[in-house]
Amino acid sequence: MTILRPSARRGFLRRNGSQTIVVALLVILMVVGSLVSSRFSTLANFMNILEQSVTLAIVSLGQTLAVLTGGIDLSVGSLISLASVLLSGITNGDPGMVVPAIAIVLGLGILVGLLNAAAVIWLKVHPLIVTLGTGAALQGLTLLYTMGPAGKMPLGFDFWAFGRVLGLPVGAIITVVLFAGTALFLRYTPLGRYIYAVGDDSTGAQLMGLPRAKVLLFVYGFSGFTAALTAVFLVSRFGVGQPYTGANFTLTSITPVVVGGTLLAGGRGGVIGTLLGVYLVSLLNNVLNYMDISSHYQLIVQGLIVIIAVSVYVEKKRKL
Amino acid sequence: MSDVNMAGVPAAGEALRNVLRRYALHLSLLAMIVVSTLVSPSFLSGGNVSNMLLQAAPLGMVVIGQVFVILVRGLDLSVASIMATAAVVATSFSGQDKDAALIFALALGIGLATGLVNGLLVAKRNVSPFLATLATMIVLQGMRSAWTQGAPSGNVPPFFRILGSGSIYGVPYNLIITAVLALVFWVILSKSTFGRKIYITGGNPVTARLLGINADRVTIICYVISGGLAALAGLILSGFVGIVDNWVGRGFEIDSIVAAVMGGVALSGGRGTIGGGLIGAAILVVVFNAVLQLGLPIQLQIIIKGVVIVVAAAFYVRRKAG
Repeated sequence: MTILRPSARRGFLRRNGSQTIVVALLVILMVVGSLVSSRFSTLANFMNILEQSVTLAIVSLGQTLAVLTGGIDLSVGSLISLASVLLSGITNGDPGMVVPAIAIVLGLGILVGLLNAAAVIWLKVHPLIVTLGTGAALQGLTLLYTMGPAGKMPLGFDFWAFGRVLGLPVGAIITVVLFAGTALFLRYTPLGRYIYAVGDDSTGAQLMGLPRAKVLLFVYGFSGFTAALTAVFLVSRFGVGQPYTGANFTLTSITPVVVGGTLLAGGRGGVIGTLLGVYLVSLLNNVLNYMDISSHYQLIVQGLIVIIAVSVYVEKKRKL
Repeated sequence: MSDVNMAGVPAAGEALRNVLRRYALHLSLLAMIVVSTLVSPSFLSGGNVSNMLLQAAPLGMVVIGQVFVILVRGLDLSVASIMATAAVVATSFSGQDKDAALIFALALGIGLATGLVNGLLVAKRNVSPFLATLATMIVLQGMRSAWTQGAPSGNVPPFFRILGSGSIYGVPYNLIITAVLALVFWVILSKSTFGRKIYITGGNPVTARLLGINADRVTIICYVISGGLAALAGLILSGFVGIVDNWVGRGFEIDSIVAAVMGGVALSGGRGTIGGGLIGAAILVVVFNAVLQLGLPIQLQIIIKGVVIVVAAAFYVRRKAG
């Protein structure tokens, strides 16, 4: 049921409806925020929001690509946990080991992603089940490696989480560059276009001779890479890797994706929407904090946002 | 796949293979029990068996609901959250039996209402089941911790303690309840017109509409069933655990999906049975228990669960193709 209806896609609002809504919500939140507290609309607070949203942004970037192909990556949370404990465990305070350790965990992330893709392609199992399975296996491996915080990072490694370049948080700059690069890649490279084609109609894409296997290997490999990179920033933030540090990211990484207008059924959406979604979630939590609303209610609000978002952007086709 | 019956291929081999295929699930459960018993003789001891049955009962209850939802091409991630909410309800009153009926009604109401919201979002708003049930899961979680301010306290009434952990002639009450529920829902699914409608709706929603089936209503009812069963399972599990935190039932959403998939319930909808799902649940409980009995690191449970779900899903994909 993937009949393309060009007529329905015309018009700026039609094409960018979700982004427009998110931007409008961001503006409304800023107005509310500045009414609530004088400390809200300060440069320091905005830098703070940017800084805190780095990890969510990076993991959601990979998730977006997986969702665009009509899949999902539920292994990111456990992968982040495993990469975190390995990074700080291997480094163990030795500055000389930082670079090799980062290389190892990034490589591991890509490897896990390729394994996910391989299972999707050759075992013909739905990505949801595959990544649920690898997620469980990775969490088990993480806990076999350590049951508590492992190793430590050398002094100065927190630069990646708290450092500033030209007054801007380092992580936020890297985030924006990554998102912009991915957006250009999706729009202007053949592989980028294939990602949409596979998501729109997987069988059709294959019949047309598009390299579905290559697309999926790339997408899940990329998602594994971004999850591992998220772990690097998390470890930089906390100074140490913990075995459950990524647990929440599996599901929270999906919120910005859908809020940003990427359909879970695949084929439509993009990473810019996701970045806006990340900032919406972060800004919302920030405003709720200033309103002295406890984290319990923040959860309710987050759930309601997902409900509203998904029922506003009615999915054209239904899959898992 | 390559089961072309060429001349000269002994028919007996073919028949054996068919039997193996059809009963693969039952045989693997049997094999696991045999292996576990050989390796660890205490596996089949009365104490351990009744322990496993006690654990299997709440999971089985949730699996029944999950089967209904998966049959209509869905997925229910909110079951664990419903369970925990029911458990919090169980301790929110005096802790005496006089409140049992109230607790029961309230918890069941929350479960059914959550299922209704899930069903409406999926059927009427075309939201993907994953997201719809994920969202209600988060909302319930927030409401629960707002209600308890993050620290639930209070006691589970003795009535639920008995339901959750008591037994008669060695048969746990909760297992009897699960068995009765399984029977009732098996009749609904396999013997009633409504059950046929579920299979048709899940198999092909377009056909269902052409046949005049109200596919939306069928879908919604499946989610309501799942929500209600999850609430019951939550009450019973709270009686088993005795104490309540915000996370009673944690992991049940994944385990119930794993059990259903292992039991041959197809995520693409329209295929699968309650019996299959329950055997899947039994396999899961046996495997977890075997890990403990063998003195292996408990982390292996999670790893095995992860591997098993992928392998099982791949097996069924292959069988469908064959």
